[in-house]
Amino acid sequence: MPVYRKPESIINTAGYCGGCGHGVIQRLIAECIEELGLQDHVIACVDIACAFWSQDALNFEFIAGPHGRCASVATGIKKVRPDATVYVHAGDGCSYVIGLDETAYAAVRDVPITMIVVNNGIFGMTGGQMNLATTLVGDKTLSSKAGRNAETMGKPVDMLKALSAFDVEFLARGALYDPKHIDQTKNFIKKGFENQRDVKGFSLIEVLSPCPTNWKLSPVDAMAKIKNENEKVFPVGVYVDRGGAK
Amino acid sequence: MDYVLMKGNEAIAEAALRAGCRFYAGYPITPQSEILEYMSVNMEKRGGIFIQGENEIASMSMLYGAAACGVRCMSSSSGPGFDLKQEEISYLSAAELPAVVVNAMRYGLGDGEITAGQDSYWVSTRGGGHGDKRLIVLAPASVQECADLTYLAFDLAEKYRNVVEILSDGAVCQMIEKCYLPEAKEHDMNKFDWALTGKPRDQKKNKAYNVSYYEGYDSYNPRIRNKLHTMFRDEQRWESFMVEDAEIVLVAYGISSRVCRSAVRQARKEGLKLGLIRPITVWPYPRKAFENVPDSVKAYVSVEMSLTSQMGEDIILASHGDRPLYGYLTAKELPTVEGIIDYCREIQAGKVQPMEVI
Repeated sequence: MPVYRKPESIINTAGYCGGCGHGVIQRLIAECIEELGLQDHVIACVDIACAFWSQDALNFEFIAGPHGRCASVATGIKKVRPDATVYVHAGDGCSYVIGLDETAYAAVRDVPITMIVVNNGIFGMTGGQMNLATTLVGDKTLSSKAGRNAETMGKPVDMLKALSAFDVEFLARGALYDPKHIDQTKNFIKKGFENQRDVKGFSLIEVLSPCPTNWKLSPVDAMAKIKNENEKVFPVGVYVDRGGAK
Repeated sequence: MDYVLMKGNEAIAEAALRAGCRFYAGYPITPQSEILEYMSVNMEKRGGIFIQGENEIASMSMLYGAAACGVRCMSSSSGPGFDLKQEEISYLSAAELPAVVVNAMRYGLGDGEITAGQDSYWVSTRGGGHGDKRLIVLAPASVQECADLTYLAFDLAEKYRNVVEILSDGAVCQMIEKCYLPEAKEHDMNKFDWALTGKPRDQKKNKAYNVSYYEGYDSYNPRIRNKLHTMFRDEQRWESFMVEDAEIVLVAYGISSRVCRSAVRQARKEGLKLGLIRPITVWPYPRKAFENVPDSVKAYVSVEMSLTSQMGEDIILASHGDRPLYGYLTAKELPTVEGIIDYCREIQAGKVQPMEVI
């Protein structure tokens, strides 16, 4: 009979809002690292936005900031400590907007890190402004109060499609709106850590994640929005799996 | 020991490698690109990491990660590129991570010129980034000093857990001179108790982020104030040349100081007693150099390759404004010996006015 318990790497609570997906993702990261037996040699990179709180919760060594630069910071760490498991836990503003350049060139260099990008379609830490890469057309935010206008603000971009043009190890998108998809997301994250363990290449796992606070929805309605709206624009699944062939 | 003939840029790069620097990331920009090129050829031979970054910000972010791991690391740039490094210099400072950055000054605003200049004094000594911090800023005036001060920079960065800047200029970094290189040494990246090593579950974990966040401001504020004061007190470096009996003292660093030295010698042959104070650190500014200036000295002249005087404020602070301060400011042109001597004669003749430092 299976025993379900909290990963031992989680040593504290974190300051996420109620219904936030970051805590689920943080737990999935901890579970994957422990199941692969990697927890004794981890260096984690978090952005100075919502993922920042993860460093209070997990019993790993952490580096935080500068905003948007996580992929570059992780590159520097992985190059000088290649034996450590180096992962990024950051949002879509960090990874796809202000830090798209850093993310793209970590992919170009095919640095064997595991990058987990939280796609919640909004700038959470700053209180709910539009995310140029991931806010859906029509979605209302503090900086698109009438809803995102595609003509003046452009459309959201599927960055996994864009990054598929790069020669990387693994690109996949998961979602958190039901247990089945949480399990699928976990498998993607685990694959990302296995790739790093096996010294393959760059792995990026994007996760469709709710932000009830800034979406101004209940946690249940926020999950429904992901299923009914966000996933239509950002389909879940594997985008690249190079399978280790260099 | 044999000497070698090297460019200033190459001497900086080679001295960094000999100081145990094993991580370099940077982006090309004239007139410092030879540092990046030298590292691209030689870093891996020493077992280190060389990365040509996609821009300055990414390069410095990689440096931030590497520095947090305890590796001796360096980046380099000039003018517009150095501006872009400020975000990470602030983060490195907040996390108290040692790192060395080179700023080979070029002249002018915006794109400016790719030739020598000295108008990045403020961005270096007043801090370009946000927040209270200081960089120790070393200003070499020769290829030999490019090597010696770079070698020293890594030790100072480590001693104070602080960013150290090498402030060279387009002339010093491009000139070729003979140079005695320092002895190569290895650095142990695992020797620090603050570095990220990826520790096992039963050991206390380090965090690389604002030290104030973990330490608390009650402890952090006085400790950092004390650190900055200690650096200011203990790390002032300068050279005084024929100040003892001078009538007018030139104050100059970097390439301008070399012309000033020649001007002092030539002027004395012509019966005009000039002297020179040459700051080697421009932060901390060598205020001690101005403490025992003899009564014979009637004026200071700041000789800078800038449009307005950037160092003038520091001279006034250091001298408590006890003598008139004149400015021989040559902008994008190198000063000349004749020009400096003529200017000093005009000072004596009362034909030029003291400078208004704005």
